[in-house]
Amino acid sequence: MKGIDRFAEKFFWVAAVLSLSVTVLIFGFMVILGLPLFKGGQFFEILSKPWLPDRGIFGIYPMIVGTLSIALLGLGFAFPLCLGCSVFISVLGPKRLGRILKKTVQSMTGIPTVVYGFVGIFLLVPVIREVFESGSGMCILSASLLLAILISPTMILFFSDSFDQVPKPFLDAVDALGGNNAQKILYVILPYSWRGVLTGLILALGRAMGDTMIALMVAGNAVALPDSVLDSARTLTAHIALIIASDFESLEFKTLFACGIILYLFTTVIALLVRSIDSKSWRRK
Amino acid sequence: MKVKLFRIGFLQVCLMLALSFTLVSTIQAGSLEGFMGEKGTIKISGGTAHIPVMKEAAKRIMTFNSDIQISIAGGGSGVGIKQVGEGLVDIGNSGRKPTDKEINTYQLNIFKWAIDGVGVVVNPENKVTLLTKAQLVDIFSGKISNWKRIGGVDKSINIYTRDKASGTRDVFWKKAIDKGQITDKANFVVSNGAMKSAISTDPYGIGYVSVGHIDESVAPVALDGVVPTLENVKKGTYKIARGLYSNTKGKPSGLVKKFIEYLFSPEGQQLAADKGFIPVK
Amino acid sequence: MMDRVLEKVVTGFSWICATVLLGTVFSIVGYLLVNGLGTINVTIIFGETDPVDALLFRKQVFDGLFPAMVGTFALVALSVSFAVPIGIAAGIYMAEYCRGGLKRIFSLVFDVLAGIPSIVVGLFGFSVAIFLHNYFYSRIYPCLLISALSLAFLVLPYLIRTTQVSLENLPENIRQTAPALGATKLQNIFYVLIPRSLSGIASGVILSIGRCAEDTAVIMLTGAVTMVGVPKSVFSNYEALPFYIYYISSQYSDKQELLSGYGAAIILLVICGLLFMMAFFIKNRLTYHALYRQ
Repeated sequence: MKGIDRFAEKFFWVAAVLSLSVTVLIFGFMVILGLPLFKGGQFFEILSKPWLPDRGIFGIYPMIVGTLSIALLGLGFAFPLCLGCSVFISVLGPKRLGRILKKTVQSMTGIPTVVYGFVGIFLLVPVIREVFESGSGMCILSASLLLAILISPTMILFFSDSFDQVPKPFLDAVDALGGNNAQKILYVILPYSWRGVLTGLILALGRAMGDTMIALMVAGNAVALPDSVLDSARTLTAHIALIIASDFESLEFKTLFACGIILYLFTTVIALLVRSIDSKSWRRK
Repeated sequence: MKVKLFRIGFLQVCLMLALSFTLVSTIQAGSLEGFMGEKGTIKISGGTAHIPVMKEAAKRIMTFNSDIQISIAGGGSGVGIKQVGEGLVDIGNSGRKPTDKEINTYQLNIFKWAIDGVGVVVNPENKVTLLTKAQLVDIFSGKISNWKRIGGVDKSINIYTRDKASGTRDVFWKKAIDKGQITDKANFVVSNGAMKSAISTDPYGIGYVSVGHIDESVAPVALDGVVPTLENVKKGTYKIARGLYSNTKGKPSGLVKKFIEYLFSPEGQQLAADKGFIPVK
Repeated sequence: MMDRVLEKVVTGFSWICATVLLGTVFSIVGYLLVNGLGTINVTIIFGETDPVDALLFRKQVFDGLFPAMVGTFALVALSVSFAVPIGIAAGIYMAEYCRGGLKRIFSLVFDVLAGIPSIVVGLFGFSVAIFLHNYFYSRIYPCLLISALSLAFLVLPYLIRTTQVSLENLPENIRQTAPALGATKLQNIFYVLIPRSLSGIASGVILSIGRCAEDTAVIMLTGAVTMVGVPKSVFSNYEALPFYIYYISSQYSDKQELLSGYGAAIILLVICGLLFMMAFFIKNRLTYHALYRQ
């Protein structure tokens, strides 16, 4: 018996270490394969230069701007929407409607991003093109709108869960004082669960920055620095998908590893941020 | 004397004709027959213009002999050349002739089995169907940015272009706009098919596409008076032409050799013609 | 007075949000159904080949979605069989054997793994394939195996986290009963804890299946191609539904192909929808069975 026990423990331990090493390996590969960039001291240059392959300049700055603008704008659209929906589900909506909305949102988590991109190309892009009468419709605005819908279900469910964590006595206290539902939300639930809301927000930001298909299909992929939300832009993720086709040994390809490193660092920062908020007491039940 | 010769001559001619007919029919029958009894996989990648022909050829071959598996991917001419050079695929298609450097580095054997052109296209609703080269250069560099300057509506021009791996782009850049600059505000699409989809849905777009791909969903633009059609490419009046190449690393052998031979066979050449290209034979 | 207005605004706002969200979802799904439902028939899946022949793999299917469906299925089966044992084992480790500082480190690393964009995982998979091709075995290309491994990396954190959370959420008294009767730690895990957290673990597995089925970015870089028929081995290229949708959306050559794109989108949506609903269903039902069945 003891033997099996020890063996099992080792097995579990190996599995965990394997998973850990995969994470580290991914980062390691990016760094090693991108090493020529560091050697030439070009890494930081690449972060600030534009992408002009014909002139031998392989800067990914426009892509960084593209990623941030699409993600932040998408988040900007999504956050109020999700807050409103989760408030509706948890408190302000009639019980039955709230349940229907929640079930719908839960099913929404299953919609693949490629389907959003597909519908976006044929439904959203022509609309944006006609309504704003400038550009091709493939722009930051279209991508952010779709992205907002993509990240909403997870954010809504996360917010809802945070709201449900509020201890019942607090809610009863509001009732006892004669308060109504809106007051419950504004003065008790939201202040109590702000950490959960913030965590959900940051996780959604991570998801938004990491999405590839929507930006690839709908944002236009131009290499110029975007001036307005109606401009075509390229994200780091779409850039990787587009340039993967070039010569493996070339400097152009190496910049993909720079993109990978930056995305990886964004992810790590987000994980750390979430951790630092989470480590406060709100998680303990 | 004369009559005898004539008779023998006539007989000989008849014999030769009969022989050649049998030969031709064997070759024609042999186009697919060559694949009888073969097994294995052929991996193909590269030019997106070639894809319709590749797909149809693969379909015929795989239907004829189900032990053969043919894998087709796109990616653009640069991808095709690079991947076949690295040994990642067996046949790399390109819509431009591989450079001498590429041929030497990868020991490429190149096979040109069709001729195609690269034409400028706009949306069918667009009234602008004639452009001069100078105008084209200015449009793509961003100097002319509104349709009204060239006789169209008062809307800004949406430019669509391909990425660097594209052979179509290479030919367009070299021959149509004389290596001019393409504005960095241009939208990028990933293949000929994608270019067609983009232009057909954008009334204010302009782009370039393989002539073999032009259909009713896009409107070709005449360049310096010549419309990009297959006849004009054949005649030589439309100058922006290119060959469709299939490249292998070293001399092709076995299944790959048979595939290349199939492309040059009458059936294969007919296939190329059906898909809108000009067969070389 | 101002408070009253604020409360009315908040209430109204939440109603608007709910309506906007529902409206958007229904228009997206509705748009797909309206355009694509009519195309779902035997031809769109099997092309001109007889369905029976196709299903028995006697004949190849061209111009149909069947190879892509088989490819997706094979991909999911392969990647889940890689990911599940390792993910669940690692989750058990995190919940039962790991403590303190080490646990915090592991936890952070897994959070990072969970957040890595799928295209970066795809880039990694592609680089590994090329690396192996150049330095080890020159017959390795981006293929089904490489894609399955990369997808496994993608879903590993979900499995670890759901297993860990389900195990950790078990009440203390359940944990302590078996050991009090003399069971070893391992026996406790296998005979008591796992059966009780089965619903959480199962829903994690199903969620991973859904994630593998829908992902496009990873497979784009590691082996999915435009056309190859049904994959013959794990070292061959393959077709997949999400890749097909992406490819068709930008490169349809005629109306027929575009309609098949809608059909493919609906099929993928149905598959993923079913999987996610199953996950929620199992989460609720398995608890019942585990706790009350004799």
